[in-house]
This record gives sequence, structure tokens and C-alpha cells, in this order.
Amino acid sequence: MKTPVSVLRLPRGPDPNSRGFDPSSPRFLALCPTSVPSSSSSSSDEEEQRLRAELRERFLRTLLLMTGKRVRFDMHEHVRVHARFGASDIDVLNLQVSDLETPLGVQREALLRCQDVIACSFEV
Amino acid sequence: MVSMAMRQTPLTCSGHTRPVVDLAFSGITPYGYFLISACKDGKPMLRQGDTGDWIGTFLGHKGAVWGATLNKEATKAATAAADFTAKVWDAVTGDEVLTLAHKHIVKSVNFTEDSNYLLTGGNDKVLRIYDLSKPEAEPQEIAGHTSAIKKALWCNNDQQILSAADDKTIRLWDKNTKEAVKTLSFDASVSSMEYIPDGEILVITYGKTVAFHNAQSLDLIKSVDAPASIHSASLHPEKDFFVAGGDDFKLYKYDYTTKEELESYKGHFGPVHCVRFSPDGELYASGSEDGTLRLWQTAVGKTYGLWKCVLPEELSSENSEALYCPPAEIKA
Repeated sequence: MKTPVSVLRLPRGPDPNSRGFDPSSPRFLALCPTSVPSSSSSSSDEEEQRLRAELRERFLRTLLLMTGKRVRFDMHEHVRVHARFGASDIDVLNLQVSDLETPLGVQREALLRCQDVIACSFEV
Repeated sequence: MVSMAMRQTPLTCSGHTRPVVDLAFSGITPYGYFLISACKDGKPMLRQGDTGDWIGTFLGHKGAVWGATLNKEATKAATAAADFTAKVWDAVTGDEVLTLAHKHIVKSVNFTEDSNYLLTGGNDKVLRIYDLSKPEAEPQEIAGHTSAIKKALWCNNDQQILSAADDKTIRLWDKNTKEAVKTLSFDASVSSMEYIPDGEILVITYGKTVAFHNAQSLDLIKSVDAPASIHSASLHPEKDFFVAGGDDFKLYKYDYTTKEELESYKGHFGPVHCVRFSPDGELYASGSEDGTLRLWQTAVGKTYGLWKCVLPEELSSENSEALYCPPAEIKA
């Protein structure tokens, strides 16, 4: 009867909350340029960055405002459903919703895949 | 050192939710070596090569990912998918760098040594060469295959291209003239191809056969028949072993010189789709229909990566708390 080879631990699996590529890892720090803007960057780059940051902030604030509200989700294949929006995950891959109204009935709790969602609308 | 027969403990890398259809290692970098896996769940993953630890997931494809590759330095990744695109990624940040639209499912991607060009091949039967420094430019195209291309690889110092297709041929092309220099025909579809630059060897699998050809003349060097249909095989960097896996879920290890079957390992719960040796030859990775990757030791019992060589006395001592001993197999 052979002895099985021992292992220190099992390989680490994916983090369910993020897509990984840890920015504090030695490889990332060594190979990626720092995010501090250099004085040589053109003003159009800075303007674009400022606009991107503004759009991102508006998007995040919209998500916050959506919390707890009844939202209409327009999805692929002409699917349109209503549900109460709970939260998004950190990479905006999935949306947690409650009381999802589907043709098959009301789903108490559900996750919507963001890649399937085209638009969402709600009353402010 | 007391020599003791040890039983192989494969390391299972979980995370994918559908079959793993392709995998590739990078070269050896100052940060070790890396492994990328292509999966039908559309989310290719990057792992540390010697431990299998997950590093990140490349998000963006909208369909099954059929092929994945890393450049030598593991700074870039490329993927081929059923969403009719090939994508180039920054393998350090995980960001998508380029999307290359195709006219059909893309099956294979391969970087040149200098990472400046990307070769793609897929169901539209055309090989394409993209200049990554001019991504908007139209790719060079090489046509000739009469069925879907399964695998396309740079060879001969990136001057030639090897392609395997469902038309049961492997063709060697000159990248400048775009002409087929040589064609190999088979009775069955080629399931996999591996190119070993050092020694110019081409490893091909079809049916139950693992065949080794000269990569320049395409002449047969030797071939071996396995007990089951083989989907993928890989030759050890030192050319003393090769491993193969396929329909019967097992991994087979053979002596390359004598063609003798040395070992076979059970572990996967589905057919093995891909298998590759690491660049240092210390382990080999397999991807399966069961959605997992498994890492296997070349020298079973050696201390390497997460595997620890433990003498019998140590197993029962206090030091063994840090060690994980796999439970005895329960045979169904």
C-alpha cells in the first residue's frame, strides 16, 4: 500500500468577490506603472480621466439610488422584468434582486447577470 | 535517503464551472511561471504555475473560450472564443487590451517569441496574423484548409506556421509566401498538437495514437498507441517522458525513449481535454470535461510547489500539523 504524497495545502481558488490580479502583489507593483499622473501627460488625457471619473461616480450613485426600489430590467431576447434591486457585486457582474417578476411567477430572491442586462429604469 | 514508493497526489484547481478545453504555460519569469486555462464558461483564468493558486480571471468574452495562451514573460495573454473574437489581455492587471473580430468561432491563438504578432485560427478556416503594434491594420490571411482549424502554432523561429484542422491535415506554411510548404494527411482528425522548439519536435494526437514528428520535415519519428482515445499529449522538456490523456479520464505517463507505459493515474471525473508539462518539467497540468485542472508531479514524492517529501517518522511527529494528507481513496 503506497503512501500518498503529502501537500502543504490545496491550491487557492478564485475569490468570489473579485476578478483578482491583486495590485499589491510583487509582480503587479514591479511591472505596472504607478497611477500617479506624471507631469508629462497631456491635458487631454487628464480631461478624459476627469470625465471618466465623473461618469463612474454618477454610475455608482445611480446604483445607490436604485437600492430598494422597483426597477425595470430590459434584457436580451426581448426580456423585460421588474424586481426590487438589492445590490451589485464589486465588478458589476451580477445584480442581486428580490421579488423578480417572471412569466413563471415571482422569484423571491434572484441574481441577474449584468451581461444579459441592456438597460434598467426606475422612478427616482 | 530511504527510497519509498509514493502514491501521486494530484492538486485540484477548482473555479471553472464548465469543461476546461485548453491550457498553456508561460516561460519561466522572475516571478515563477504561470498557467492559463480556457473554459467553456467563457472565463479564462490565470494561475501560479507551480502551485495552481488562482491569480485572476479574464472577464469579457461572451461565449465559450476554446483557446488560451500566454507570452513567454507572462505579461500578455490571448484567448480565442465562440463569440467570434480573439482577445489580447494584460496578464498582470487582467485588463482587456484588444478585441480582434473574426467571422466565426476562434479556436486557437499563439504569440510569436517577441510577443509582437498573434496568430489566430478557427472555424472560418483562415489563419490570421495580427501585428499587435498596429491593431487597427487588417491581419495577413492564409487560406487553404478546407475545414475548421483546431490549432495554429508559430514554428521555426516564427518564420513558419503549423496548423491542424478538421480536414484531417496538418500543414506547414511559410509566413512570408503564405504558401503551404508541406502537408500531412491522417485518417482521423488530429485532436491536439504541441510544438517543441528545442529539438524541433511536433507532438500530435489522433485516435488512440500519440505521434512525434520532425517539425521541419514533418517526418514521423515515432508513435505510440494508448489504451484509449487520446485528446492531448505533452513531451517533457528533457524528452525523457511524455504524458497523455483522453476519453478514459486517466493520465498516462510514458518513457519517450522506450515507448513503455510507466504509470497511469485516475483522478479526473471526465475526459481529459488538454495536458501540458510545465516549463521546468517538474509537473504537468491537465484540464478536463469535469471543469477542473489538476497538477501532477513528474517525480512523485519530490518536494516541489505544494508537494512535500515527508519521511515516515515526520508524519507522526508534531511537525505534521501543517501538512495535509489526502484521505485514502474510496473505491466506488
